[in-house]
Amino acid sequence: SNMVLSSMEVEAAPEAKPLPPKPKFEPLKPHEMSDGQFQFRKVSVPQHRYNPLKKAWMDIYTPIYEQMKIDIRMNLKARKVELKTRPDTPDISNLQKCADFVHAFMMGFDVVDAIALLRLDELYVESFEIKDVKTLRGDHLSRAIGRLSGKGGKTKFAIENATKTKIVIADTKIHILGSFANIKIARDSLCSLIMGSPAGKVYSKLRAVTARLAERF
Amino acid sequence: MADSKDAGEEALRRLIATFQPSFLAPNPALSETSRAASRHLFSALRPFCPKSPLDQLLIDGFDAEQIWQQIDLQSQPLLSSLRRQVKHFAKNPEEISKLKVVPLGKKVEKEQREDWVEESDGFDEELEDDEEGEGKGGEEGMDIEDEDEEQGRESDNEEESEGEDEEEKGEDGEAGDGGIEDKFLKIDELAKYLEKEEENFEKAEEDTRGKKGADDEENTEDDDDDDEEEEEEEEESDEDAEFGFGGEDAAGDMENARYEDFFGDKGKYSKKMKAQLHQESEGSDEEDDDMKFKKQNKGTASTHQKQLEKIHSKIEEMEKANLEPKTWTMQGEVTAAKRPKNSALEVDLDFEHNVRPAPVITEEVTASIEDMIKKRITEGNFNDVQKAPKLPSKVPREVKELDDNKSKKGLAEIYEQEYVEKEDPTSAPLSFRDEQKQQASVLFKKLGLKLDALAHFSFAPKPVIEDMSVQINVPALAMEEIAPVAVSDAAMLAPEEVFEGKGDIKEETELTKEERKRRRANKKRRFKAAAVKRMGKKVQEGALPNQMNG
Repeated sequence: SNMVLSSMEVEAAPEAKPLPPKPKFEPLKPHEMSDGQFQFRKVSVPQHRYNPLKKAWMDIYTPIYEQMKIDIRMNLKARKVELKTRPDTPDISNLQKCADFVHAFMMGFDVVDAIALLRLDELYVESFEIKDVKTLRGDHLSRAIGRLSGKGGKTKFAIENATKTKIVIADTKIHILGSFANIKIARDSLCSLIMGSPAGKVYSKLRAVTARLAERF
Repeated sequence: MADSKDAGEEALRRLIATFQPSFLAPNPALSETSRAASRHLFSALRPFCPKSPLDQLLIDGFDAEQIWQQIDLQSQPLLSSLRRQVKHFAKNPEEISKLKVVPLGKKVEKEQREDWVEESDGFDEELEDDEEGEGKGGEEGMDIEDEDEEQGRESDNEEESEGEDEEEKGEDGEAGDGGIEDKFLKIDELAKYLEKEEENFEKAEEDTRGKKGADDEENTEDDDDDDEEEEEEEEESDEDAEFGFGGEDAAGDMENARYEDFFGDKGKYSKKMKAQLHQESEGSDEEDDDMKFKKQNKGTASTHQKQLEKIHSKIEEMEKANLEPKTWTMQGEVTAAKRPKNSALEVDLDFEHNVRPAPVITEEVTASIEDMIKKRITEGNFNDVQKAPKLPSKVPREVKELDDNKSKKGLAEIYEQEYVEKEDPTSAPLSFRDEQKQQASVLFKKLGLKLDALAHFSFAPKPVIEDMSVQINVPALAMEEIAPVAVSDAAMLAPEEVFEGKGDIKEETELTKEERKRRRANKKRRFKAAAVKRMGKKVQEGALPNQMNG
């Protein structure tokens, strides 16, 4: 009762009913979260990644199925990789991670590099096109692509090593895999290359950056 | 000789007898006779003039003019002496009887003289007639008449115009002929003369010394005769008055008796002798001796005079030089402005050279140099300049080189490593870039150990070379303790090691336009300097610079 008490009277509380015991809920399993329904992800396989997929299938399949506890199968007719959760999938994000992993592979990254996506959370893939940076046509475009990769790919590797990222240059599309800050640095370098700066300039910038990065820790 | 004499006389007579107008036309026979006659006369008169250089009148092949000159040569002194003697005799007629007999046939001469005087009187008329009709052709014939004319004219002329000299000659001739012995014997005359001379000497001191020879001759003439003295003095004084000569020498005459007093004027005689030398083809010994003697006398006297002149001229020169300013070589310190241009080149200067003189390049020198070169080449001892090693003052910053190759590690491993380094700092990998370098360092460490064992581990302390390692700026405690219970804020690196203060503090977004421009300009400058250095290195190495296409 919420009667105003004028005086300090202690009302004897009615005898409290013993509260029911606190329910102990176990965390919801991903399966249960989705109301017992399986989640699916489908990743299309481009033409040029078909063979590499065939070659690296077991490297892909094993970590997904064994460690991430996600079902994976290849739909040959549709040319897609299909992923499905299992009832004993530990984490609801596993599916997404696996999907990203496979997607990364389809972009062109190596299995070894893409695996990092499974293991580390903070890794992202950024993609952009050359035309996003600068409109180039014909020879200029070709030259820009050449500048980006360098002779034998050494410019690309230099950027990769310096920034601890992985870069894939697929014609006009560029994909960068790494942590957020590193992606930024790599993106800056690549953009400067697209814009026309010579490789030496990019190197010197990278050197400064990496020195700073190394000093940090 | 008698034949010739006779022939001569004969010729004379013939000439006298010829028809005078025939002299006008050239006639060889007449000229022959006249020549012979003149020769005869010449030789007849020869004894009376001892000083004449000609013994005989030279006729053969001689011109009229030349013959005339010869005659003139003889007659001049002769005439003057004759005149003097005549005067003397005119004054002292008693002396005529005292005439000495000259050994050279004076008697004949006397007679001839008398005849000659007569002839001369006779001739004068003829001469006067002939003077009008004279022509060139008649010169030869006129020789004798000319002589006579001479006598007539000269006796007039000499007194008027020529004056002194001839008189002196005459007087000298007289004195030379033979008056010396007489004079010296007369002591009384000497005494008188001395007195007079003393008086004259006083006058002489005032007057200037004029002609020496002339005055001396005059004064010696005074010695000759007491009687003549006055006249002569008068004459001399008259003459002196005419010509301005002083009788100064008269006083000192006895003391300063000179050659001229006795033997006549040297100057005239020398000229005559020269003329005679030229004319005469042959000369007798006597004449030569006489001439030589005369020459010597003239030489000694004149050489002395010449010496005196020389000395005087020298003295004048030296005095002149002393008065003038000295030449620049004698003036002590002389600058270039004070001496004439290029004058130092002509003078042989002596000064110390502070530099070694340039070596003379000879074959030996070049050979020695070449030997040295060869030796050095064989030894390999080139004096190459070696760069001094620059000591590392500061730890060179470890430059993390960009690896162009594909990383062998996968991305996951990279991040894994990074994570591990982050968690456990000590597990940082070694800062060697190359595995090869690592292996090499391991090997060297082993070797170093063995060498140290050889030296019994007592080695010089290692030079302080600072370690080239990356100091990771992690908390100090974290380095020391594995379990970071309490993390200290103190970092391993000092703040200045973290950041020196150099470098771009401001971010690009914070810059103003000018600051951005300045930054860009600095970068460009540094880049250009580095590029130049790189180009230099590449040129040194001999490699062409590769243009890298980015």
